[in-house]
Amino acid sequence: MTDDRPHARLPAVISALTLILLAAPFIGLVLATHWRAFGFAEGDGGAIAVSLVYSLLALLLIIALGTPLAWWLARYPIHGKWLIDALLLLALLTPPLALGLLLASMYGPYGPAGGLLERAGLVLTNSAPAFVMAQFYSALPYYVIAARAAFESVPRELEQIALTLGHSPWRSFLRVSLPLARLGLAAAVALAWVRALGEFGAVLIVAYYPQGIPVKLWVNLQNTGLSAVYPLLWIFFLVAMPLPLILGLAARRRRLF
Amino acid sequence: MRVDYTIERPIALQATFDVEGFTVLLGASGEGKSLLLRAIAGLVPAHGEPFGGMAAQHRAVGYLPQGYALFPHLNAWQNVAFALRGAQRREQALQLLERVHMAEFAEHYPAMLSGGQQQRVALARALARRPQLLLLDEPTSALDPVTRDDVIAELIAEVHDFGIPTLAVSHDPHLAAVADRLVLMHDRKIIQMGTPETVYAHPVSGAAARLLGYRNVHRGQVIGTLEAPRVVWPDSGMSFPIGRQAIPGSDVDWTIAPEAIRVVDAQEASADDLPASVEVRHVNGCRTLLGLRCGQARLWIDVSGHASVPESLAVHLPPEAIRCWKRNP
Repeated sequence: MTDDRPHARLPAVISALTLILLAAPFIGLVLATHWRAFGFAEGDGGAIAVSLVYSLLALLLIIALGTPLAWWLARYPIHGKWLIDALLLLALLTPPLALGLLLASMYGPYGPAGGLLERAGLVLTNSAPAFVMAQFYSALPYYVIAARAAFESVPRELEQIALTLGHSPWRSFLRVSLPLARLGLAAAVALAWVRALGEFGAVLIVAYYPQGIPVKLWVNLQNTGLSAVYPLLWIFFLVAMPLPLILGLAARRRRLF
Repeated sequence: MRVDYTIERPIALQATFDVEGFTVLLGASGEGKSLLLRAIAGLVPAHGEPFGGMAAQHRAVGYLPQGYALFPHLNAWQNVAFALRGAQRREQALQLLERVHMAEFAEHYPAMLSGGQQQRVALARALARRPQLLLLDEPTSALDPVTRDDVIAELIAEVHDFGIPTLAVSHDPHLAAVADRLVLMHDRKIIQMGTPETVYAHPVSGAAARLLGYRNVHRGQVIGTLEAPRVVWPDSGMSFPIGRQAIPGSDVDWTIAPEAIRVVDAQEASADDLPASVEVRHVNGCRTLLGLRCGQARLWIDVSGHASVPESLAVHLPPEAIRCWKRNP
């Protein structure tokens, strides 16, 4: 036992150092915030509402479309799967600003899809749908990759046993695959949420309006300066944190399903 | 119940046999026994009867895979109730757990149960489905060797009690010994079936004898004349006389029971006795077996009741005690 102690101490020291590094910017935020003059810029309230409502919409879309894809990738042998992997990787790799430009060139007023959709009444530039679309694109690959890993971790045998016990594949998915993948899926949802809510580059290009928190932070910085950034940033943390935090806790306590 | 299945992929396999009471399909690893069970349960593509062409969820089978596959996120009664519907499912699940003597563990999660306990919960869960056929994949493999015989006795008593035809696949001769009916599989074909008594008494081939756990099953070639045939045992580099059942020139599998072999002192041995050395001593209750090295081969002899064995020894294989089967080319 005594021999183990020096070895056990090293990871603890490194971990503490890493945590301090991780916390440093936030310690900086605490020190830099003018607590006596804590106030919001005009439009901050609207930005918070825009971010929360549209991120939630984007998240629902991501879950609705991404979950079947993740399941399909995890469970079925597909010829040319590497192409799908490459596509997901491409979506992950694209810098957010470039993603915004690509979205604008496809869905913008002069883009091939944008023109058609506009005629159908769906404007994907500087509109609520455009905002949701930008968040959807930037967070979807993260969700799919994490959810796929979660489904892959469920032993296939258990799903098959559910079939032999008289359950349809759909009920087997609901009662076995989902509950057993819940930790990984909760992490995937949390990841998608923080990616969507924090998205700046893509949103800036295709949906400067309506302004969500990340774009508003930039606008505040341009118009007023740092003193207008920090209060909104505090609120951002306050509203963004609860969902991933609760998801993580609930999944661990088996309360989710 | 007659089982008649043909599987083409991933390996080709055809099997036809009857399942009565507790039937054990005995075969070596890699024969495709588990695949056959999964085919009957509708989990791999195959055609045959019973349940041919039905989706897995519509087949009235109770399938217990190796390791039992209990749902780790559900406790024992929830596992059993998984196949049940309606308001009474908890009561019904508890009744089934009662029948397999697991009622007191109803709230336990699978990780908290022993192998035998998990098996009983899985059995109750499979029975909740009201199966017409129970399928058990290697039911002894996950059991503690010390309690295995008791757990199997319990399992068989329960299966008889429920009165559902049961097919267990295994490579374990211990399980085969307690079957109502035994089916042997070799080279992906059914080679023999019958009651354990008849199958054990008359294995149809050396492969069957090996499956049944016979010790001392070896290859050889018959030489000599019809009146005085001998077996050449290539692994030991020696030959010895056998009974007149063998035809010279044929390749055979031969066997001899460990208790039929006589130990002699090497100095008093005849030319037909085989020199040997003791490699391992195997004491099992009042039975003592010796594993002897004969050239490159091993021969098991039963020395129970012998006070001692000579320092340098040879063995005498009585020709009338040797049984042999012609090998298929």
